[in-house]
Amino acid sequence: MSNPHKTRNKDLPRYGMVIDLNRCVGCHTCEIACKIENDVPLGIWRSWVKEIEKGKYPNVVRAFRPTLCNHCENPICVKVCPVSAAWQREDGIVMVNPHLCVGCRYCMSACPYEVRYIHPQKGMIDKCDFCSVRVDAGLQPSCVEACPTSARIFGDLNDSKSEVARLVATKPVSTLKPEMGTEPRVYYIGLDVATLEIRREVKLVWEK
Amino acid sequence: MGKVVFDVQYQTTLAFLISYYFYFTGLSAGSFMISTLSYGFGLEKFKPASKMGVVAAVLLLLIAPQCLLMQVAWPVKSLWHNFLYLNPISAISYGSFLLILYPLNSIIYGVFMFKENKKWTKLFGLIGIPLALAVHGYTGWILALGVARDYWNTGLMPIVFLFSAMVSGISMMILFIMIRDRFFTKEKVINHDLIRSLAKILGWLLVVDLFLVFCDYSILLYSKLEGQEVAHFMLFGKMSFWFVIVENLVGKVIPMIIVFVPGLRRSTFWLIVASLMNMVGILAMRIVTVYGGQALPLM
Repeated sequence: MSNPHKTRNKDLPRYGMVIDLNRCVGCHTCEIACKIENDVPLGIWRSWVKEIEKGKYPNVVRAFRPTLCNHCENPICVKVCPVSAAWQREDGIVMVNPHLCVGCRYCMSACPYEVRYIHPQKGMIDKCDFCSVRVDAGLQPSCVEACPTSARIFGDLNDSKSEVARLVATKPVSTLKPEMGTEPRVYYIGLDVATLEIRREVKLVWEK
Repeated sequence: MGKVVFDVQYQTTLAFLISYYFYFTGLSAGSFMISTLSYGFGLEKFKPASKMGVVAAVLLLLIAPQCLLMQVAWPVKSLWHNFLYLNPISAISYGSFLLILYPLNSIIYGVFMFKENKKWTKLFGLIGIPLALAVHGYTGWILALGVARDYWNTGLMPIVFLFSAMVSGISMMILFIMIRDRFFTKEKVINHDLIRSLAKILGWLLVVDLFLVFCDYSILLYSKLEGQEVAHFMLFGKMSFWFVIVENLVGKVIPMIIVFVPGLRRSTFWLIVASLMNMVGILAMRIVTVYGGQALPLM
């Protein structure tokens, strides 16, 4: 799973997340924890759980897809930002510099995962940053800490002894849209293909 | 397969203001091209359109960036951040230079033209052609490099934008020249020879434009899932009225028929109708491409 094109310093950590959907119960606690921790305004989410219902009674199931920034190895947002406000830390976390961002929203339309939003009060782009302030203080991201079933596992992918590195190495993991060449560092175990479907019904901006 | 119980709706990012910006730069590039036909390439037939073309190009390029600044959340900050914190691999970065160079060059070109200095007019006209192509072509690049959207991410996008710029610019010039000749000259007679030559160019450019749309859609319908979804959305879905009827039927096919049928081409009334329809259709094309291209959620 390593990227042959990048010569990232192997001594530094490379943060990533594994989401084990066999454990996920769809309680949306991660959403709320994220909102509280990062002061995310109403109507927008840094991390959310897409929930779908499939099958026919009695064979029905609800499937979940927790969604957050994938902190890609080759982030498209960093490439397209005209003012270098989107940037990547040495440990792989993709950040937005609020002092540089001018709110042109180009990165939002270029992100294949649609995880960036425009902050209604600041007018700037905002998104999940793996709770970088907490990570720097040696804590886990708040969604990881809040998850009641420990479905989210966060850690250093470069450290072979870490839980995330072990899961990525030994379990059948998948990422979202690998064909985009972004090399996401959020891995899913047991991802249901039904949660990846494109929603066809949309409300156009001129529709009431 | 599954019924969505909860999901987050994607915030639409680039909508009408960006469409208007693309529309105005397109009109500007198109009218600039017309103005260079006589001074740059020596086609004397088009000389009466030159001065009007360059004035329209400069004025429109003064309006166009205002739409861009209104769209950006921090307009004042963006004026200098675009240069100070330049990201050389972003398509938008080049725009900030082109949006300064192209109007400056057009103004210099216009000044020499009004002073009847043929040599310098030709020089700045020829410098202006690649700049006009770039200032509109790069808007196609902006969309094409938004790689997440299959509707945008095609190599045809800059070329489609160039052709739609030229057709809308010529339509605007036809209308402007008619108004000028009819109301603001001593003779009050429309220069039919010039108008018909422009209409003929318009017709052939519309043929190319429609062919490009056909290429784009025939490939999109065969491509991967997101491309197929967005092509169905445009052709048969909620966007079909704007794409099929307004953009292509009203904006391209009917004007093309009008300018190719000799009887209709000789009628001033029908040429006005064709030009107006084409200008409306190209505005619809901008909105369909910019807004419609990203209206469908990706996951």
